[in-house]
Amino acid sequence: MYTKNKLIKYLSSGIGMVSVVFALSLQSCANLEEHPSDSQLAPGQFSSLEDFDLAVTGVYGKLRTAAQWTTFNVFGWAGDDITTHKALNKAPFREYDQMNVSGDNPRSLSNWNDVYSMIRAVNAVIESAEGLNVTDQERYNRLLGEAHFLRGTLFLHMSRIHGRIPLPLTSAPDFEIGLATQEEVYQQVESDLLLAESLLPNMYPGLEIPEGAARPNKGSAQAILSRLYMNWAGFPLKDSSKYTDAANVAKKVIDNHSSYGFELLNDLNDLWKVANRFNKESVWTIVYSNAAGLGNRKYGILGYPADVEGGWSETFAEVRFFEDFPEGPRKEATYRTDLDWKNFTDQVQPVFTKVAGPLGDLPSQWSTDRNDFYMRYAEVLLNYAEASGRSGNATADAWEALNMIRRRAAGKPFDSPDPSVDVTSGDLAELAFTERKWEFAGEYLRYNDLVRMERVEEALKNEARTPLDSNIPIANPVLGSLSPDNYYAPIPQIEIDLNPNLAN
Amino acid sequence: MKNRILNLLKGSVLMGLFLTLLGFQEIQAQQRITGTVNDALGPVPGANIVVQGTTNGVTTDFDGNYSIEASSGDVLVFTYLGYATQTITVGNQTTINVTLVEDASKLEEVVVIGYGTAKKSDVVGSVSQVTSKSFENQPLTRTEDALQGRASGVKVTRNSGQPGGEIKVRIRGVNSITGNNSPLVVVDGVIGGDLSSINPNDIASMEVLKDASATAIYGSRGSNGVILVSTKKGKGKGKISVDYFISSDHVRKYIPTLGAADFARIENSSRARVNSPAVYTNEEIAALEANGGTNYQKELLGQNGLTQNLQLSASGASEDGKINYFLSGNYVNQKGMVIETGYEKYSVRANVNAEINDRLNVGVKISAVRAKTENNLDQFNLFEGRKIFQALTWDPTTPIYNENGGYNLYSTKSVASGTYNPIADMLESDLQNVNDRIDVNFNTDYSITDKLKYSLIVGANSINTAQQNYIVSQTLPDATYSGAKTTSFQVSNILTWANTYGKHDISATGLYEFSQNEYSQNGYKSTDYIVPGNYYLAELGQSFNAWNNYNKSDIQSLMARAAYVYDKSLFLTATVRMDQSSRFRKAQNTGYFPSVALKYSFKQMDFLSNGDFLTDFAIRGGWGQVGNQNIAPYATYPSSQIGGTDASYPYSGGTPSPGAIPDGYGNEDLTWETTTQINAGLDFAFWNGRASLSIDGYKKNTTDLLLDVPVPGTNGGGVIPQNIGEVENYGVDFSLGGGIVSTDNFNWDSNFNFSYVQNKVVDLGGVDFIQGSFEATDGTQQYWNIIEKGRSLGQFLGATFLGTWKTAEATEAAEFGRAPGDPKYLRDESGDIVYRPIGNGTPTTFWGFNNTFTYKNWDLNLFIQGVHGFDVYNTMRGTINGPAKSFMSPDQLNQWTPENETDIPAGGQSIIGSSRFVEDGSFIRLQNLAIGYTLRDIGAIESLRIYASGQNLFLITDYQGYDPELTSVAADPAERGNGDVAAGIDAGAFPNPLTISLGLKFNF
Repeated sequence: MYTKNKLIKYLSSGIGMVSVVFALSLQSCANLEEHPSDSQLAPGQFSSLEDFDLAVTGVYGKLRTAAQWTTFNVFGWAGDDITTHKALNKAPFREYDQMNVSGDNPRSLSNWNDVYSMIRAVNAVIESAEGLNVTDQERYNRLLGEAHFLRGTLFLHMSRIHGRIPLPLTSAPDFEIGLATQEEVYQQVESDLLLAESLLPNMYPGLEIPEGAARPNKGSAQAILSRLYMNWAGFPLKDSSKYTDAANVAKKVIDNHSSYGFELLNDLNDLWKVANRFNKESVWTIVYSNAAGLGNRKYGILGYPADVEGGWSETFAEVRFFEDFPEGPRKEATYRTDLDWKNFTDQVQPVFTKVAGPLGDLPSQWSTDRNDFYMRYAEVLLNYAEASGRSGNATADAWEALNMIRRRAAGKPFDSPDPSVDVTSGDLAELAFTERKWEFAGEYLRYNDLVRMERVEEALKNEARTPLDSNIPIANPVLGSLSPDNYYAPIPQIEIDLNPNLAN
Repeated sequence: MKNRILNLLKGSVLMGLFLTLLGFQEIQAQQRITGTVNDALGPVPGANIVVQGTTNGVTTDFDGNYSIEASSGDVLVFTYLGYATQTITVGNQTTINVTLVEDASKLEEVVVIGYGTAKKSDVVGSVSQVTSKSFENQPLTRTEDALQGRASGVKVTRNSGQPGGEIKVRIRGVNSITGNNSPLVVVDGVIGGDLSSINPNDIASMEVLKDASATAIYGSRGSNGVILVSTKKGKGKGKISVDYFISSDHVRKYIPTLGAADFARIENSSRARVNSPAVYTNEEIAALEANGGTNYQKELLGQNGLTQNLQLSASGASEDGKINYFLSGNYVNQKGMVIETGYEKYSVRANVNAEINDRLNVGVKISAVRAKTENNLDQFNLFEGRKIFQALTWDPTTPIYNENGGYNLYSTKSVASGTYNPIADMLESDLQNVNDRIDVNFNTDYSITDKLKYSLIVGANSINTAQQNYIVSQTLPDATYSGAKTTSFQVSNILTWANTYGKHDISATGLYEFSQNEYSQNGYKSTDYIVPGNYYLAELGQSFNAWNNYNKSDIQSLMARAAYVYDKSLFLTATVRMDQSSRFRKAQNTGYFPSVALKYSFKQMDFLSNGDFLTDFAIRGGWGQVGNQNIAPYATYPSSQIGGTDASYPYSGGTPSPGAIPDGYGNEDLTWETTTQINAGLDFAFWNGRASLSIDGYKKNTTDLLLDVPVPGTNGGGVIPQNIGEVENYGVDFSLGGGIVSTDNFNWDSNFNFSYVQNKVVDLGGVDFIQGSFEATDGTQQYWNIIEKGRSLGQFLGATFLGTWKTAEATEAAEFGRAPGDPKYLRDESGDIVYRPIGNGTPTTFWGFNNTFTYKNWDLNLFIQGVHGFDVYNTMRGTINGPAKSFMSPDQLNQWTPENETDIPAGGQSIIGSSRFVEDGSFIRLQNLAIGYTLRDIGAIESLRIYASGQNLFLITDYQGYDPELTSVAADPAERGNGDVAAGIDAGAFPNPLTISLGLKFNF
């Protein structure tokens, strides 16, 4: 009771406080405005070059997410160089391998989603950069050039899989976007890459490791342009005037290769070592860091059958292609000839060094530090040789470009003429085309070469793939049509369900 | 934040003091009689006191207190349903305390209805009550288990047998496709409780508000139903209880798998089918035959679970009954059946209430809980399924240890599962999840006049969680820390008014409430230790990344409720709540949630009041609207993501640079989803309430669903939350209970409840399907579920299995690259395998039958429950039947051969997601069987109960997996959507144990 009296005394003298308490209690104490910027970066226009740089790095992050899976190159399984396990959970790869790709192919879908998610990010970058006032115009140009390079290159990447594709150019979703025509696709790629070429410097400054152009330079844009024109000149548009463009732009790269930092490696064996994951031969490199949880999931044990190091049996070499492969140092560098592959129990297929890594080089892992050489300088040389040949302009320089590749393949110095290897007459274009077959075996490029030259049937028909060793069957015989109407993979069905405009 | 709470508490204290003052300033104009109405157990709330011959009447409050004006010649009439009426002449007394004597024929309880209480007979909405009496004889460590099968319309699902694992509670089906469907939990008036952190021994009762007329007072948070938990109060003389039980858990059944030798033979035969050489030599097979190989399932489920539960409580009240207390402490220690798993929980509670004076009551309730889960299987790397999944598919021919005593980390034959050795992972990894929670609840009520009362409830809580993982199975060890802190508070001001005008009883409740929730989280990951270590050696990692998150949300609300009763026959209640939520933009942030309910009781009619059998009959009807505002804070704004695996890039191949990418699209038009529910019910009482029957039918439609609408991959993918679509649930709840036998020595109380609910997706915003959320565990990147318009949530997506290709069909099979003996699936005209809905995992029917028998000092509890009308997608069986490299199932012993063309494929591309693995999930379970014996008055011990019980003693089901109740709801709902759309998918959940317990309960 003592307490009670004390309370009374205390409060009797404080009547005024009562109304204050009431007022406090009844007024709104709720804060109904949200402040997302307390914990998030607000999307929208950049306020500085640092913002711009941050967003460009984000696009690379998305690119790496897409490129880390074999899915990124899933169309490569259709080539006559690569096959996969005949069972296991490799059905989506087999669909490509057997030219029987369904609209539900989950690998097509996940690649589609990953790449277009990156396209959304790059579109946001291009939009947000608009109107940014800067003092360092060179840095601004580099970043903008990089953004256009990434967009153009990835549109081309998708078009090589699916042919006609949608071309979203804004970050705001257009739910009714349709398929662009093939010509529109190429024009968009060209315009992005030409802009990138004009904005990018000869060498991207500030890179800790300049070899391999982890951030693209002018030469990287020109190199991809040469790839674009090779496609443009071939199937399906067959605009052969583009061979001249291909040769011209490839020649620009060749003429300036030193200032771009591009060069062939002397020894092909060095190319696939993890220690050489940054090297001058790559005109644009997609970089990985396994320790940082940003590894590359395409190599290592994915290239082995279960017999070797608990392999994942995803990416095997085709037997007939291996049998046809000209003997020599290049074959040794391309395949793991140390393995007794004919006695594999899981599946009888050779193993690509380019996938599993040179003997003892990669740890027994499915995630590695290997970088992707998105395009090698060798391809620029061969594009130049082939495009020159096809445009009737087989110059000495064009022959020299082909011979550099041939010399190295034979284990000779690539830059010293060598009559025992060099060719100087014949059909330059076809010689270069064949050279590509061996040079890029297992690099997921072969199928596109077959497509642009309409040689899919010729290369994939059973007679062409049946191993010479009669004890070995074709692991995954072709099930689908080999005619041009089945060259490209269908657009994922779910995308068409969500947006019927993508059907045609 | 802390200051904010302090300020609030200060404000509240001042308010209380103010009210105290008012109490003393009251003018003694008339003679006021005060007192407490008690029964044998303590205070009786809701008792009626009327001045005889007048309409002047009051009811007692929750603590049994009353106060009435009367003159000395008046006679007070004390009535309370279930008790004999008492009359007392006032005379010169100013305090009249009354002890009511129970009249068994008229037993009637008080029901908590949210922001107040009501007599059970006055409740118009659909409310189920579960009191501690119904579960006190079942050894429980989880509050959810106390609800299971005891309230109609409430479905409690144990997703796994993981100690401390998630238990799903759903009321009358599921409304939301992407939102959260968990009911709102309100503990002693404070919104936002968590059933898993409440000690079941602290609970006095739980009221489940099911229909919208009952839940509308919770407005934008009421659409999933509301569970009101009231914790215990002390009463009577001081009492100490000690309750201890120990239980052991056993694996009810193992899934049959091939023995090592059979496995090796089948492996060789499936290789032979594709012209590959044998993997095992005859000598190896003979050796495996001799030593039996290793059964990884039994190695993983390698121990009996053990639970120890110690409960202490002290409760009582001061002699004058003005102060009461309830103090309790609880310790639970569990060891799971999977090696290295466990759970430990400490909790304490103090509830103290004081009657300061006739008009003012104050109370404080404080509870603190620490729970620690060890090695939760859901938190391991889920690649290729959970540990159970991995163990079932792991090579039985590879021993756990190699000759040097190290682990065989992968199959030495490169067969079966390609994952890291699951036993090595369990033994070497260390995952700890610590959850600390403190709740403080201050409440006071002040009777401004006889008829008008002001109540204040201030609740605040703080939750800290820490996840500490050390995982060895990702090539090199990684350590991850993630800590989150949630603090929230709620202030509720409640005014209640009640009066009686002749036969008209009118009451009204008004509310002003505001609340805030603040969340912050951060964490780091240390990747690829240079040398193995433990969690605390994270510095050994080769790379590090960190993350942060923060958000805050507020809600402000007004609510009004009016109730009218005419002659105890006609009952009418109407409510409306207004909520303003910060989660929505200003133009959409205000919602109104109305409800109305009507009941007519025929009790007063002659045919009932004179009857012996049927003694009450009432019809009820109600309508109301409630909402669901469960979207993440800031979801209306576009967002970006900084860093992380998708937004950082290692330009130099080493430490990555952070980047930023667009993330959420934001939708500024978002608002809550609205559930409109109609309910009609019938209540019957027999033999003056000894038995009762309630039947409710309802239909609820949830519109403007907060649906995560997938953005086509072409447009960047992800989802945009939109208010689109409609889901409907309709059903019947049936509850029958009462004392079947009631004699001096023998009693049999029984309760049966039954619920049927049909769920249907009415509209998906113009499309017929939405992609599911449960991605296959087999690496095919397909989804095993789908949301289909016109059907119930929980549709399974898969191929249709047609047996095997037979020899006669060899040519046709070859067109698809298949051979005889390969599995055959339904294909469309173009030859593609058809993926379509092939089953549904949402149960339609569930029931519980609870019986308590007492004979002299013996008691027996028998509790059976059943769930029917659903399928289970047994993807675990799918996996052991191929194609994950190797066959593990004994079914293969009868596989297709050219001579015996069975429908069990001998090889080829088997699809896990196919109708072959859809099974009927219906089951009946003996949930609890307990027998106890009570000794009374042994020295200082008032009573001692000794009991033994068994849980999950039998399970009747055709399901071939461990238990059809288990579903593999994603560990991370943010990644895989809410579990209700993926119900019934068994992808390797921790099995439910069979549990045997022994316990002792003392009262001093």
